[in-house]
Amino acid sequence: MDETHISRGFRSKRQEQASKNRLPPGQYVTTDFPVLSAGPTPQIKVADWTFALQLNGSLLGKWSWEEFEALPQTTIETDIHCVTKWSKLGTTWQGVTFDDLLKVVGLSQPPAPYIMAHCDGGYTTNVPVADLVGGRGMVVTRYEGLPIAPAHGGPARLLVPHLYFWKSGKWVRRIRFMQKDERGFWESLGYHNYGDPWKEQRYDGD
Amino acid sequence: MTVTDAVVSTRRIEWQLAEVRDLVIETPRVKSLLLRPADWPGHLAGQHVDVRLTAGDGYQAQRSYSIASAPEDELLALTVERVKDGEVSPYLLDELRAGDQLELRGPIGGYFVWTSASDAPLCLIAGGAGVTPLMAMLRHRNRSSSRAPAVLMYSTRSLEDVIYRDEIDAMARRDNSLRVVHALTREQPKDWRGHRGRIDKSMLAANCFPPSQNPAIYVCGPTAFVETVSGLLVELEFDPLNIKTERFGPSGE
Amino acid sequence: MNNVTDLVLDGNATANLLRQLFVPDITLAKIRCEACDCLSCVGSLTLYAAPMGVVLKCADCENVLMRVVETPHGLWLEMTGARNLRFVPDRE
Repeated sequence: MDETHISRGFRSKRQEQASKNRLPPGQYVTTDFPVLSAGPTPQIKVADWTFALQLNGSLLGKWSWEEFEALPQTTIETDIHCVTKWSKLGTTWQGVTFDDLLKVVGLSQPPAPYIMAHCDGGYTTNVPVADLVGGRGMVVTRYEGLPIAPAHGGPARLLVPHLYFWKSGKWVRRIRFMQKDERGFWESLGYHNYGDPWKEQRYDGD
Repeated sequence: MTVTDAVVSTRRIEWQLAEVRDLVIETPRVKSLLLRPADWPGHLAGQHVDVRLTAGDGYQAQRSYSIASAPEDELLALTVERVKDGEVSPYLLDELRAGDQLELRGPIGGYFVWTSASDAPLCLIAGGAGVTPLMAMLRHRNRSSSRAPAVLMYSTRSLEDVIYRDEIDAMARRDNSLRVVHALTREQPKDWRGHRGRIDKSMLAANCFPPSQNPAIYVCGPTAFVETVSGLLVELEFDPLNIKTERFGPSGE
Repeated sequence: MNNVTDLVLDGNATANLLRQLFVPDITLAKIRCEACDCLSCVGSLTLYAAPMGVVLKCADCENVLMRVVETPHGLWLEMTGARNLRFVPDRE
């Protein structure tokens, strides 16, 4: 993983710089975009791609790529924080908000309190629905105005930037509502179940 | 890597890491950093590098430093003067240690350069830490077979502030074609017979090669120094096209 | 250079989790996939997910064979995707 060189012992003199207030504890700002994947990068053809919302055994909605692109689009600028300590400030993403997904499938309320995101390659991550509504979560297809590169989760990834970035599952294909919380890939092997960077919830037991 | 190779190089200048090999105290306020960059393409005397520091929280500060070493030298030398309440110079002077890595990119600059291929008389006029790129030129001149006549006029506050003093004196002693003239502006030793006060018109007239010889003139130092000296040189009828200047500040620190 | 052996030889911190966990040389061990029965040499497997942890996947079917995570609260190992792990004696 490429990291910006940190000059040993160099401390900035400016106290009120914006980045300090935007950096959760233990993080440093990177200007590049490190790639971390739990498996090989899936090569996904958008012609074969579908995305679904699932509740119990049934699909609440399913979209092809063209159908998904035709959904209401939202663009946000946000900071992202990886549990491996790098943060990237001011990143721009475009896609469909979780709120709009619920609206489109005709739900005025989320049908369950938790979701599990299922991704190509078998990766999973669990997120409370409360952390997705109100604009907090999206399924995104563009980064900095361009289609998301495969290594960064393209064609579509989950984006939940207020939590550690492992929660923003790359190559998301299905969001499954759950009545009871279940732990996903990293959450079941030592990482924190929730992952709030501002409370430095990196590991189970933090 | 020959000097000619460096001239022809058009590679993109990327940040790279340089290992700090040594730190040399030059004067109470000045140190030279001796560096080994990971992938140095060579340079010309007079060029500079950008140095970038990154704090743990990601904050970055960047400054330019003239290269003090000759292209022929094994290590890349940067000479750093302490800036009062500075952000970068205190780190480079007080914190940096041999073995550390320093991020830099370069060489940068195609205008304020001199190579020994030039055989015009060389007139170097330095104010304070502005001597750094001129020292690269003198070191290069010394290492190459060039014996084009050269003069260094070097203005500092006191004798104690003369950077590379021993080396410059030794160069001048060994080389009849090099003359060094010091101007001490604030403090002079009791037996000082050199110039007192700032470099003025008469000192320039007395020491620079006459305009008729078309000397290559390089002036480097604080902005006010450079403006004053180049103004005087033009008054003395030197061709402005032969006067190259590099202003060292205010650095923004 | 992302297979287990190269990373271990290179002193990669995440790959070293594997070295710490097993007394015999893990890079020489053979691992059998529980999903497709394929046998792989651990050393030749691509190591994914560094520095979050070690993830080894079956080269044939991409089933997760082994995962290791080191946290301040302990070191986790999960191998439900492997039928078995075999350390071959030196002399064989």
